[in-house]
Amino acid sequence: MNRQGTRRSVCSRSLRWILVGILACASGMSWTSAQAAEVRASVDRTRIRLGDSLTLTIEVAGGGSDRVAAPDISKLSDFEIARGPVRSHRFQFVNGVSSSSVTYQYVLVPRREGTLSVPPLRLLVRGRMVATQRIRVEVLPRGSAPPRPRAPAPGVQQDRRLRSRGTREAPSIDDVRVLAEVDTSSVFVGQQVTLAVMLVSRQELLGLAPKDSPTFPGFWAEEIKLPENYNAEQILIDGVPHIRYTLMKRALFPTNAGTLTIPPVTYQIQIKRRSRDPIESFFFTPVETIVRGSSPIAVEVAPLPTESRPADFSGAVGRFDLSVVADRTTSSVNDAIGLEVRIAGVGNLRTISEAPLPELTDFKEFTPKVTEQMRIRGDRLLGEKSWDYVLIPLAPGEQTIPSITFSFFDPAAGEYRTVGSQPITIQVARGDGAPGSPYTPVAQSDVRQLRQDIHYIKLAPDGLRDRSRPFYRSPVFLVILLLPVAADVGIFAAAFRRERRHANSRLRRERRARSIARRRLKDARKLLTPHSSRAFYASVAQALTEYVADKFDTAASGLTHQRIEELLSSHGAPDDLKDSYHRCLEACDYARFAPTSSSEEEMKRTSRVAEEMLVALERSLTK
Amino acid sequence: MTLRVLYLPAALLLLGVLSIGPACASIPGDLFDAGNTAYEDGRFEEAVTSYEKILQYGLHDPRVHYNLGNAYFKMRRLGSAILHYERALRLDPSDGDVRENLIFARGQIRDRIPEPEMPYPIRAFTTVLGRSSLALVTVIFLIFYLATGALVGALGVYRSLATRRVLGYVTVSLGLCAALSGAALYYTVMRMTAEEAIVVEDRIDVRSGPARDNTVLFSVHEGTRVEIRNRLDGWIQVSLPNALSGWVPDTGIEQV
Repeated sequence: MNRQGTRRSVCSRSLRWILVGILACASGMSWTSAQAAEVRASVDRTRIRLGDSLTLTIEVAGGGSDRVAAPDISKLSDFEIARGPVRSHRFQFVNGVSSSSVTYQYVLVPRREGTLSVPPLRLLVRGRMVATQRIRVEVLPRGSAPPRPRAPAPGVQQDRRLRSRGTREAPSIDDVRVLAEVDTSSVFVGQQVTLAVMLVSRQELLGLAPKDSPTFPGFWAEEIKLPENYNAEQILIDGVPHIRYTLMKRALFPTNAGTLTIPPVTYQIQIKRRSRDPIESFFFTPVETIVRGSSPIAVEVAPLPTESRPADFSGAVGRFDLSVVADRTTSSVNDAIGLEVRIAGVGNLRTISEAPLPELTDFKEFTPKVTEQMRIRGDRLLGEKSWDYVLIPLAPGEQTIPSITFSFFDPAAGEYRTVGSQPITIQVARGDGAPGSPYTPVAQSDVRQLRQDIHYIKLAPDGLRDRSRPFYRSPVFLVILLLPVAADVGIFAAAFRRERRHANSRLRRERRARSIARRRLKDARKLLTPHSSRAFYASVAQALTEYVADKFDTAASGLTHQRIEELLSSHGAPDDLKDSYHRCLEACDYARFAPTSSSEEEMKRTSRVAEEMLVALERSLTK
Repeated sequence: MTLRVLYLPAALLLLGVLSIGPACASIPGDLFDAGNTAYEDGRFEEAVTSYEKILQYGLHDPRVHYNLGNAYFKMRRLGSAILHYERALRLDPSDGDVRENLIFARGQIRDRIPEPEMPYPIRAFTTVLGRSSLALVTVIFLIFYLATGALVGALGVYRSLATRRVLGYVTVSLGLCAALSGAALYYTVMRMTAEEAIVVEDRIDVRSGPARDNTVLFSVHEGTRVEIRNRLDGWIQVSLPNALSGWVPDTGIEQV
């Protein structure tokens, strides 16, 4: 019983010590983590050139490093963040002592030259705001000598192992450079400038990518394809072996005259980072990303000379050959011929758009098929452009495709050159001209005027004539104008005179009508005897009829009784007077042609009635 | 003896007249041929000299002015070329070559002055008249005029009422045609005698008054046609179809 109770007490005692030990360890750990966190900021280099990059490392070590927020980098105005932040967390347990740290890494590219500073960056560690120390960085001009490492500044990491390793200097990230070169810096507009961007390094490259897609304002750029391994070659710089990679090649064709600038080409390069941690170096490949850019290059571009510029120059610069080939030289009307016009040579042919074939009058031409092929040989752009025409002869006979010319500017010689082809003669038959065979319809085309000029001078085979004095100024014209006027005036004067004369005779006859009638009645009264009664009545009837004829200026022979009545009515004679007149004339006619003679008394009465009627008529007609 | 003494000078005089006559007649023709030959050989200045000598004889043939205009055009003296094309067109408006060369030359001048728009009937009327020679319009007018005069005279001769009625209608119709052709003749004469001038210098400043110290209103360039409105002391008041007006020195323009 006691032994059991003693054993139980020993067990409980040892269990108590184990618990105390565990608590002591736990309390020790919590004490460790409760220590104040240490924040350090460091850069890998404090002297760099403009365009190079540096790595900013912010390390939070000590307690509470697992509860760290990313630093506030809003005040980092002198640098551009090329990459980052990259966060890494490290935990160590050595000899019962644990430690942890959190690291933020940024790749920075300076914005300007001079002495720049990384300002105190604030970050939140376990609810407390902690700031890093200020770091100064000296930025040298672009293209200056590689900066030498200076004495370590506060916050600069120093790899003591490497420095203590011995005589041979380890490769530095300053040895990684991006260079841009052009084959010539003085060209004509349209002449090729070959740009080569290279990377020179003593280090092994782990990765490479252009930071931005390169642009070349003012240039027409053609890519020159490179092999996959970037043409890596070993070169010696100051006796030190380097590896040179050709990163990019472009065939550039300036489009404007003046001083053009090829902008820097920037790459992000991943290289192997030196690590202080042998375990990290052994098991992992620490990578550092740096940014390197080339220097801008100025290119002087001269304009193409304007004098002696050919009229058909279309902007091609280089050296080209022209070939014109027809697929056959015999054809027939409406039978198509193929004609290939090919321009090939060194230079950029993409700028040529116009077809070089002139207007052909005896051929109908269709829109050509244009083939364009560009290739690079020996870093020079070779162009080849061909136009495949389909020509249809429109007329039989010997038709000629005239010489085709092509003008370009040869920058090597500094002058324009024109190449031309030989005229091609096509024998065109009339087509299927077998007797009785139907004619094929001819493809007609409009006749188009190609150019314009003034008409040619005139000849004067019939001699020259002065035409400065027009006919309307001559006296003959005036005479012709006056002639009809004078003639018409004469005609109308004559007509007037004739009318007037005629009017006078009528008036005279009218006036004398009554006296003549009275004289005739007087003569009739001499015949107042029975045996001459017919003559008496004839005289009375004649006197009455001729009175009316004289009064109205008409012939007596055609006057019937009805006509006399019409004339009297037209002049307003009273009806009773007309009736009396009519009866008197009828009585005369009756007595003239009656078988018996009239008495003397009847004749006197008739004479008196006739006399009175004439008086009444005279009064009535002269009102 | 006395008669023989008189015969000899008379015969010599007659011989001289007969010899001088053909020589005078052939000189302009020879000059014309010489000018044409020089033109064909590209010696345009010599061609101009020959043609100008013909004009100095007082022989204004439209073909001389036309060839002279061509020679000036080849010498790139646009104003003189247009001047002589205009003169040739006035002498023979029916010549299509002159008209087309004039249009082509006008297309080369620097000033663009819009012509005022005209309604269609008037435009058609002026277009037809502009291509008709003065002689043709004169002949047409005279035909209508004489026919109308003859019919008017016939009205005085014929007494029959029916005949006079028919004559009256025909006379009125022909009279209207005569009036219309008379108006056409008047328009043609006015157009051909219009006081117009061509700028023969590269550029002339048109001023607000007839003196150098007046304000420059605008400038006209070689080949531009202006209308002459007034003359005063070596200055000419000109106006353009777009109603711009001003004074220019008389050395810079030449009347058509």
